[in-house]
Amino acid sequence: MALFQRIEARVDAGIGRRRLGYALLALIVVYFLWFPNDTTQSNYAKTVFISGFFYAIMSSSWALLAGIAGQFSFGHMAFMGIGAYVAGLAARDGFAFLTPESVSSVGAIFIGTIVAGLVGLVIGWLLLRLRSAYLALFTIAFSELFRIVMLTEYDYTGGSNGLSLRPLLQIADVDTARQVEYYLMFALLIVCLLALYWVANSPVGLFLRAMREDEDAASALGVNVVRYKILVFVFTSMIVGLAGGIFYSDIGSERIIPEQLEILQMSLIIAYAVIGGMESLIGAAAGAFIARYLLEATREVVITLPFGLTMADGADAFVWEPGAWRYALFGLVMVLTLRFMRNGLLYPIITWFSGRDIVMKETVAKRESDEDHAARLEVGDE
Amino acid sequence: MKHRCAFIVTIALITMLTLVPLGMVSADGHCEFADYTITLGGLAPMSAPGAVAGGVAMDWAFKQAAADINADCGVQIDGVNYMLEVITGDSEGSPERGQAVAERLILEDEVDGMVGVYHSAVGLATMGIMEENAIPTIFSEPWNDNVSANGIIEFDGAAPRFDDGIDHIFRISPASSMVGSVVTDWLIALGVEDVVLIVENTDYGQPAAADEQARLEAAGVTVSQIDVELGTEDFVPILSRIQASAEPPDAIRIVVTGETSFNLTQQMAELGIAPTPDTICVTNQIAFQHVQYWATVPDGNYCAFNRVGIIPSLFNDTAIELNAAYEAEFGDIVPSFGMASYDAVFMMVDAMERAGSYSDAAAIVDAIEASDILLSQGRYYFTYGSHNPDLPEGTPTFMWHQWPDPIVTVMQYFEQGQSSLEAAVVYPEVYQTHGTAYVVPGTSP
Repeated sequence: MALFQRIEARVDAGIGRRRLGYALLALIVVYFLWFPNDTTQSNYAKTVFISGFFYAIMSSSWALLAGIAGQFSFGHMAFMGIGAYVAGLAARDGFAFLTPESVSSVGAIFIGTIVAGLVGLVIGWLLLRLRSAYLALFTIAFSELFRIVMLTEYDYTGGSNGLSLRPLLQIADVDTARQVEYYLMFALLIVCLLALYWVANSPVGLFLRAMREDEDAASALGVNVVRYKILVFVFTSMIVGLAGGIFYSDIGSERIIPEQLEILQMSLIIAYAVIGGMESLIGAAAGAFIARYLLEATREVVITLPFGLTMADGADAFVWEPGAWRYALFGLVMVLTLRFMRNGLLYPIITWFSGRDIVMKETVAKRESDEDHAARLEVGDE
Repeated sequence: MKHRCAFIVTIALITMLTLVPLGMVSADGHCEFADYTITLGGLAPMSAPGAVAGGVAMDWAFKQAAADINADCGVQIDGVNYMLEVITGDSEGSPERGQAVAERLILEDEVDGMVGVYHSAVGLATMGIMEENAIPTIFSEPWNDNVSANGIIEFDGAAPRFDDGIDHIFRISPASSMVGSVVTDWLIALGVEDVVLIVENTDYGQPAAADEQARLEAAGVTVSQIDVELGTEDFVPILSRIQASAEPPDAIRIVVTGETSFNLTQQMAELGIAPTPDTICVTNQIAFQHVQYWATVPDGNYCAFNRVGIIPSLFNDTAIELNAAYEAEFGDIVPSFGMASYDAVFMMVDAMERAGSYSDAAAIVDAIEASDILLSQGRYYFTYGSHNPDLPEGTPTFMWHQWPDPIVTVMQYFEQGQSSLEAAVVYPEVYQTHGTAYVVPGTSP
């Protein structure tokens, strides 16, 4: 009886933590909604946040694909690029039977999103029957191929000078425009996160987790493994295609360049997800946002010694620029995270608020007690 | 006693630490400076995926310019001396980051003007932000024609983003279209009959090669083209095809950038294909960085290359001093974008002084348009701007706010390990330094 009471109390505590977590999440959302109205913040700060929202979408969608479904793809930036480039080209040159005049900015982004999904479908259909490293290797090759095509087909894509997308918004006042852009990108992040959560917490999400843990066992239990792999691949491709189309329509940047699709940029998306927590969508999104913010905030950090005094010629007495080392430091954090906190730096916090640690402990305790019981039966103690 | 000694040492240390910098101020303090420090934002790629080596040189040039100006009592406006600071923003070679950094420099650091930019994509993406915030800007390296032409108004039929066009942006680097013809003109003048173009498969290489091919063929020259991918290490199979041809070509023109051009040139020289008395070798302009060149292309003597930027024989005192400072820092010759970045800071300061203001953007833009100043790369002026808005028919639109006189030449090494300061300028004739249009391998000019 005492045991049951203890369990009950701890579950209650878990529920309490969950409520606290929801309250905290609500506070964060309120803060983000209020942020553009903070008159002490410049448009630059909003730009940094807009960029953070974009990378949060990239990172959380990759977390669904790799962390939850176990499909380790390096093609995420390429699909984002497909969404952006197709949107830009559709608005400039038209698409299929549509003339440029008949393609609106929103229509162009829609076309880009659909094409990203279709390419994801073809690649998924070709490839997702294969296992383990093949997907990673193929998507690396696909990304590079796409980047090189965008670079060399300069007559259409603008090559290394990039492709300027038709602006999504036409607001003359700079401050108002930035405010609207901020809310648009934030809304996109919320919608994408809700969609990702819906998939992750639906029966499909259970199938994806089952496939990740043991593909053969999931298949034996009746899960159509290939179908669900393709489904999640197409779904995440469309999400990043949409994000790319919107972000590069002068919301976060006025042009996309092939260098944005380099494997280095993809590795940053992976790093954000790893640091935030690959198995947690919100962790990956928060990891990306925080990492982007910190990388930007530490960009120009300069420490001047002694006491900030300067020489007569304007040169600093002793200058140390740790900002120049920020990517190296970021890499170090990622290495340490992978070694000591494989679920990411934010995952333990999210787990604590969700109360899942209690459930996990109870499950482990129950399993151990069952095992002890079985062992005792085997040696004839009872 | 022990405690007393420690106390005295501590006091002495604190006093030294406090007085050393103050002492330096008074030692060099021959000028009275106002409280306000004029700041310029410098955009340069300081980390990947940008061209970091270029960014480092530009950052050095900004700082050097600021140091030289401050040593000469800073920016002098209406009898008041202002200290100058250039804050370098890392564009990472990415339009997105470039835009964010430009905004930070303008809105957080509140810079009074902008200079720099290496990548054209960053220039095209950021000029809108400078325009929105009315920040006078002098670009020192992007080549894309649109930087000084129609700017970011790229969409036919779409509303321009700024009703008044791009007013605040100036460029002192050449537009792509200004660079193209010098090598082909030189080869045609030499009377070559067949040329092999080895071309990188990028948006730089392919249009440049198409342009050169058209010019050469129009002059009756036979042209064959071989495409290569950037980053290729082994060119022997490609070069073997040239070697196997019945007659060696009169010239091999390498339209490949960076380290790849070094590998290609060295392998070509090693195989005895070019430079030879029969075949002229024309390699990439990066060969001007002679330390790198000779370290990677030890057999590349007698290769020619195009040079964008002032040639050593025309170096004035400012260029010589700047080059000496750069050599002391980096052990190589100052690149043209380093010189242009240095000059851009001086031009901006000169315009502020003539405008009598560091904050009146319209007056500063007017002053830049009216610039007539001799700096490390020569005399700077702008033919077309609001002071002369009507471009005559046939004048390309990129001439708006464009310095019309960037020097483009063909140079040639004629001694193993030679400094590019001593290499021969062979074309155009007006700049020739050794009285010859070509130094035949095995001879001296």
